[in-house]
Amino acid sequence: MMTTASRTKKEYLNPYIAGILLGLTLFASFLLLGAGLGASGGIARVAAHVEGVLANDHTLASEYFGKWGDNPLRYYLVFMLVGTFLGGLFSAVWANRVEINVERGNACPPRNRLIFALVGGIIAGFASRLAQGCTSGQALTGTALLLTGSVVFLICVFAGGYAAAYFVRGQWDD
Amino acid sequence: MIETFYGLGTLESAKAFFVALVIGLCFGFSLEQAGFGSSRRLAAIFYFRDMTVLKVMFTAVLVAMLCLYYFLALGWISLDNVFLMPTIYGAQIVGGLIFGVGFVMGGWCPGTAAVGAASGKVDALVFLGGTVVGSIVFNELFPALRSLYAWGDSGVRFVYDSLGMSASAFVLLFTLIALVCFWGSEYIERRRMATGLHFNSTFMRAFSVALIVFAAAFSIFPGIPESAPGLIPYSPTAGATEAALLEAVETGADHIGPEELADRLLVGDPSLLLIDIRTPAEYESFHIRGAVNIALPQLNEYLMPYRNTGVIVLYSNGMTHPAQARDSLYRQGYQNVYILTDGLDGFMKACLKPVSLRPEPLSEIYAGKVNAWRSFFYGAREADAETIETSPEPPVKIGLLETAWLAQNLGDKNVKIIDLRSQAEYNSGHIPGSLFLSVESFRGVVGGVPSLLLPHDMLARHLSLMGIEPDDMLVLAPASEKVRDATFVATAFERLGHRQYGILSGGYEKWMAEDRPMDTRLPEVSESMYPAHGSADTFTIGYKTVLNYAKNGGAVIIDVRPVEYYTGEKSDEARAGHIPGALNRPYTEDMANVDGYWTFKSIDDLSHAYSAMVPSKDTTVIVHCRTGHQASQTFFVLKRLLGYQNVLWYNAGWTEWAARPELPVETSSGAAK
Repeated sequence: MMTTASRTKKEYLNPYIAGILLGLTLFASFLLLGAGLGASGGIARVAAHVEGVLANDHTLASEYFGKWGDNPLRYYLVFMLVGTFLGGLFSAVWANRVEINVERGNACPPRNRLIFALVGGIIAGFASRLAQGCTSGQALTGTALLLTGSVVFLICVFAGGYAAAYFVRGQWDD
Repeated sequence: MIETFYGLGTLESAKAFFVALVIGLCFGFSLEQAGFGSSRRLAAIFYFRDMTVLKVMFTAVLVAMLCLYYFLALGWISLDNVFLMPTIYGAQIVGGLIFGVGFVMGGWCPGTAAVGAASGKVDALVFLGGTVVGSIVFNELFPALRSLYAWGDSGVRFVYDSLGMSASAFVLLFTLIALVCFWGSEYIERRRMATGLHFNSTFMRAFSVALIVFAAAFSIFPGIPESAPGLIPYSPTAGATEAALLEAVETGADHIGPEELADRLLVGDPSLLLIDIRTPAEYESFHIRGAVNIALPQLNEYLMPYRNTGVIVLYSNGMTHPAQARDSLYRQGYQNVYILTDGLDGFMKACLKPVSLRPEPLSEIYAGKVNAWRSFFYGAREADAETIETSPEPPVKIGLLETAWLAQNLGDKNVKIIDLRSQAEYNSGHIPGSLFLSVESFRGVVGGVPSLLLPHDMLARHLSLMGIEPDDMLVLAPASEKVRDATFVATAFERLGHRQYGILSGGYEKWMAEDRPMDTRLPEVSESMYPAHGSADTFTIGYKTVLNYAKNGGAVIIDVRPVEYYTGEKSDEARAGHIPGALNRPYTEDMANVDGYWTFKSIDDLSHAYSAMVPSKDTTVIVHCRTGHQASQTFFVLKRLLGYQNVLWYNAGWTEWAARPELPVETSSGAAK
């Protein structure tokens, strides 16, 4: 009866092959859309929508979200974000990797891990607006275009990450 | 040549949305297959346990970069068709550092969290919620962050240019660095975690060789054709003759000698626009007569109407800043920017140094020239004060075009003239080749409010019917007392992101008073496909935004209607009066009647008047009248002539405000002036 559990998870793809797949996806995005990949741009549109539902006049009058107008979700990166979720879902189901849990070190209580995830998310969401992109839109896309600012961003992401890594390592303790 | 949705301006169409969805599917699939549906695996790179993130990311960057740069070099796609993010050093350094902290803390980044959520990871869902909150926090703090957000804005920059390398050398270097990282990662994994499966494997060796071969072979191409032609190397021209200099200008060399500049200014060459990029204090103390003072960050915005029309000359004390500014402008498509050889210092030495103080003997002709230059450029200071009645203003005003310039450029197929007078006047004689346009055809009922500027797609259709292309230089020729017709049409261009336009100074009256050519034939027009970009309009606002500013402050609201309408003595609207807190500056105050035709007052007068009302150039200013027509003139003055950064246009104006009883109204003469 436990057929799904007994079915073994597929192995991850060779990282270089996965990288080639990702690179070709990015290239296709350049050729068709004329713009690279992006994730935080779609999230920001969702955020503008959420704030618009909560306080419509205030959001429309705000300087940053306000310029996106009444319907911030009409934006290509929102559709790309939905696609990313569905593509991930397809792959995870196919490889039998869907499992509802909180990923953490065994010695870390789930609540602590979720607090880290929430705070990390707030920081990353904020920072991606400041830098006009995240790992997808700046680090991946901009570096492939050889844009100076994107390469600087990529270097700084790793600098920031390595600098903070020691202080947040507890969540992965086994 | 491949045309992308971005290149065609249709990134907001349903088709583009569908393509984005499909690309997203591939993106999500690739990420999940790489193992990025797991935060543990992602975070592991920061503890040197599992370097998958680096391997996948660098491989993807290399593959996409090589493919794209091959396509560019082969001419199959141009950079115009790809959205290039500007380099903003401050924002990207600070943003990158903070983002790194968020990444290692949360164990996710936005894209991978979407995949993680799809894999059932609750922490990914929580992280995504966090990013939404973080974006809202950013929006709320934006007014305080605005300067950081633009701190170190350097426009579109390529890393190989920043490093002073050729594109092909950088592609090879970058590939080699990535391969060192790959091999190093495998080695670290093998030592620390006993993984590193690919270290020195057959696959790894073949993969490395293939990448090196592709990267090295790229150097067979001469270079990447940019959207603008490559930079023209600087060559000094000390001692060059007048003729050789003119020839150098014609062949596109990037400098202009002091003697040539002096002569062209002396004869009042109308095609010349001289820009002083030093500080306002230096400019005040001395500048070359006829120069306009513009700070570097505003340069592109000011010069847009003159891109590839006429001659733009930049100068500073030396040559470094002008050369850098010229590089940046070239990259933005300007091919008509020149720098003054040896800067102001060289100009003083070559042209203005008194003959008596020169060690070298001068020919009689040259000595005569020096005297003429000195009396012209020093004006009232030293020479006899008789020539000073000529105005010290530049020959060409920013955003305005002189009749002499237009006369020289008649017949240029990229210069399209738009006649805004009545149809009867147009029919009985117009500037040769000009198109007729009634300002009313750009207005209509929008959202129940009459006479508003039409939406961008309808405007684009209008321009298409007129045969206008996005790179045309548009010249607006109004009757001189109705410059507001030209500025209203200009807001339509601004809404479409068409910034290459100018208003004919003095309008038709000046053109005709100068006895310049007229014609009665209609122009040959073939319909074009003007793209309907909608996103360029960030300046039109609705009553909610105005109300917010009126209540909470943060903006100067200028009511440009005649004073008796402002005070409420007169009214032909639902209610009389004005928006609480609004100042009054009737649009007519910005105009002056000179020699029988109307022109804008001098830049000095205008900036004096507005600096008394608006604290600084980046203060938010809202302009309005009844339905945006008169206010469009003030908008043009503030934004295009005076360089205010944040000018907003309340199009629906008093017509809407008065008719909404819930909105507050003030009727005293208020805090005007």
